[in-house]
Amino acid sequence: MHEDLLQRCVEEALKLGASYAEARFHRHIGSSLFARNGELLGYGEAIREGAGIRVVVDGALGFSSSNSLSWDALREAVAEAVKLARAHAKLMKRPIELADARLGKAKYEALCLKPLDSMGLEEKSAVLAEIWERAKGAVKEARLMTLTAQYSEDIEEKTVVSSDGALVVSRVPRVTVGYNFVLLHPQKGTLQRRFEFGGSGGLEQLEKWKPAEHAEEEAAKLEKVLLEGVEPPKEPVDVIVGSEIVGLIVHESCGHPSEADRILGREAAQAGMSFIKPGMLGQRIGGEHATVIDDPTIPGSYGFYLYDDEGVPARARYLYKNGVINEHLHNRWTAKLFGVESNAAARAMDHGSEPIIRMANTYFAPGDHTFEELIEGVKLGVYMRSYMEWNIDDVRWGQRYVGLEAYLIENGELTKPVRNPALEITTGAFYSKVDAAGKEVRFYPGSCGKGEPMQGVPVWFGGPDVRLRSVKLGVVA
Amino acid sequence: MAEMVSNLAEALVNEALKRRFEEAAALVSRSKSVMVKMFNSEISVVQRWSSFTVSLYLAREGRIMVSTIHPSSAEKVGAIVERAIKAAPQLKPSMLYAPLPEPERVEPLPGLVDGSVVEAMSNPEPLAEAMLAEAESLGVERAAGAITLSLAEKGLATSKGAKLEEEATGVEAYLRAFIGEASGQWAVGSRKLRAEDLKRVARTAAELASQARGEARQLEPGTYDVVLSPMVVGNLMNLVGMMSSALAVMMGMSMFAKFEPGSRVAAEKFTLVDDPRTPELLGSTAFDDEGLPTTSKPIIEGGALRTLLHNSKTAAKMQAKSTGNAGWIYPRAWTLSVKPGDAALDEMIREVKRGVVITNNWYTRLQNYVEGIFSTIARDAAFYVENGEIKHPVTRIRIADRLPKLLSNIELLGKELYDISWWEVSPAVRAPYILARQINISRPFE
Repeated sequence: MHEDLLQRCVEEALKLGASYAEARFHRHIGSSLFARNGELLGYGEAIREGAGIRVVVDGALGFSSSNSLSWDALREAVAEAVKLARAHAKLMKRPIELADARLGKAKYEALCLKPLDSMGLEEKSAVLAEIWERAKGAVKEARLMTLTAQYSEDIEEKTVVSSDGALVVSRVPRVTVGYNFVLLHPQKGTLQRRFEFGGSGGLEQLEKWKPAEHAEEEAAKLEKVLLEGVEPPKEPVDVIVGSEIVGLIVHESCGHPSEADRILGREAAQAGMSFIKPGMLGQRIGGEHATVIDDPTIPGSYGFYLYDDEGVPARARYLYKNGVINEHLHNRWTAKLFGVESNAAARAMDHGSEPIIRMANTYFAPGDHTFEELIEGVKLGVYMRSYMEWNIDDVRWGQRYVGLEAYLIENGELTKPVRNPALEITTGAFYSKVDAAGKEVRFYPGSCGKGEPMQGVPVWFGGPDVRLRSVKLGVVA
Repeated sequence: MAEMVSNLAEALVNEALKRRFEEAAALVSRSKSVMVKMFNSEISVVQRWSSFTVSLYLAREGRIMVSTIHPSSAEKVGAIVERAIKAAPQLKPSMLYAPLPEPERVEPLPGLVDGSVVEAMSNPEPLAEAMLAEAESLGVERAAGAITLSLAEKGLATSKGAKLEEEATGVEAYLRAFIGEASGQWAVGSRKLRAEDLKRVARTAAELASQARGEARQLEPGTYDVVLSPMVVGNLMNLVGMMSSALAVMMGMSMFAKFEPGSRVAAEKFTLVDDPRTPELLGSTAFDDEGLPTTSKPIIEGGALRTLLHNSKTAAKMQAKSTGNAGWIYPRAWTLSVKPGDAALDEMIREVKRGVVITNNWYTRLQNYVEGIFSTIARDAAFYVENGEIKHPVTRIRIADRLPKLLSNIELLGKELYDISWWEVSPAVRAPYILARQINISRPFE
């Protein structure tokens, strides 16, 4: 799509003195339905399209973009990017260079078994109404104060052309369904749950997700937590961290600190820095079970891609391997500085965004335990299955996850529900204390934010349930 | 210049009415912006955007459709109307539907455009160089940050006859300064470009980094008095502002779901204003997306909840009056101001027996919006205070408490106000330092 035009942009940039040029056509066509308590609030559509131009001139980087795809507008954008780069080239202490890479000439598409238009808006709205009906029906003593639900779809189309020979055309459709509810009990207060399904592909995913059934189960289980939840134990206990939380932990405390641009400080004033410093490859971060992989190529994943936005072919990256810092996430610029090859982590949100280093689908590697085996030896512990509140410091070392659905484990069995246990732990402690991991990896979607201006890109994060030995949990004030 | 975008908005509304929509509104915006991003005391990238956005609100028999498009050509705008025509019969009427409001007189807001911003947009690098030089002159070893300059015009038309336009410039600058492991960060947001503002950002970041030198210690978890800088207040007020949207209340995303207007929700000294009529604040504007005039009005005044923020739809649903905060669907704060107090920062610190000064924060997240249960992480310079004196820097601390409690426990507000806008504070907030008593501080298990 628009290959000739993009090629012309690249040639124009080279003519103006760029040593590297990359032109990307990027389009999102999306729509959303929103409902509250089963009733439709509204329908929204969004189309974003245009071209982004990135150049290196005299060792400096310039980026410019244009909505318009007319040659005049694009030629102006190219000239602008070159001018911007040239203007600050004199200030560069360390000129930008890109590592050599094997670049793709390819066209690919994420499989869509049931196309997005194979269901009408009425049917899609009915999915949201059913979430409300089923969740409402599941609550007995408390009241479902409010439930909002959202269905969204998006088709992302890109063509990347670079002066080094990349030509990659891609099309990735994505679907998400999410809900947010508040349970209210006059004596026990409120409890809130947000959850989202998401993946690449078509509407076949809805059949797998069964969002209404999910909301019904969640409402029933969380009502029990609201009505019967007890405080977590005060002394250090074994903690089974559920897959939903494990996924977020690896995203926050492995994926983000492994971004090489962050390690170098490029995001220092925004998304922050990393406890990982240059030269730390090979250092131990945890025990044998601590293996974290980021793999853009997982079929059906929310963060799916086969080539990054510099045209580099994607592959699985083993960021932590058996407890050791094994590999960082790189684009061609950081790869050059670290003396390695890019592992295809350059992604841009849309045509107006520069490609920067991003995760795709990050997960904790599975172990060999069933859930029963994970809890069978635990005398006193807590199983944290889901969460609402989380955060991590800007070097990705001190993090906190507050459990939502959680249970006491007594003598190898789940007993009472536990209310709001806070797992506040350092990255080193988390990866060192994992002594067993479950067999089954589950994934959860998210929009990961980074960059300035902020770029939100779709990612999955996941993992199995894991067991931590002897951890002190906090109590929400 | 902005007349062109309002003419286009009007043409789109007329086109939509011809295509049998009963109501329509169009918001057309065109902007140019440039950003200089810095790290390790050098420029990492300079980016320039030229953006054209068309948003359409279309209604037919109570069905609501909102489309946003960054069109690559004029035909694409027509295509989105076609898509809406197809969508309409498949939708049920919206539970939120109310007609667009009749136009009211809008008093233009002078002072939204500063020519020096427009001028600097063609050559922004010297601004970055000046900030870096100021920081370096104060002993900063490396600095990171960003300067963004923008010029935006918006034109609005509605099928009720509103036709409005506005042009505004914007400046956002922030710098994070490092001396060894210590760091300090500061920010500014304004409609005007003043060299002194940018220098002050660099100077404050450098001074905070300098004060934070020395071994940063951990704190025992527990309750402490907290002195929060305008950066932190700005971040937390964004949360309060978001929660004051009437739709946030309806969606279970607000602590105000449990309060009626008039209820006490904060300390008596505390007043928070949605402040679109103060032109130098980023986010200021004369009219909302329904064409109603904006007003600067308290959300919380003297500690009491005065009003939620409404558009015509939420107002109709809650038997209230629009507050000029549309969003066609979601009412939102334009820009926020916290009323100052009379304390100087050192007076506040002297009032603290056992507490912390937190100068920056990030990653504020909630366990429960209705209860306001949240935590947020201190970042950059933070200090332990004992018996009115700063003792040493602290590291890895979090505020983990309830927002209503934090608001109620405010005891002092600073007399000086700062206009803050950065990654973690948007919309911009004008805020002083505050002192809040007995707030829960946590830290990670090692």
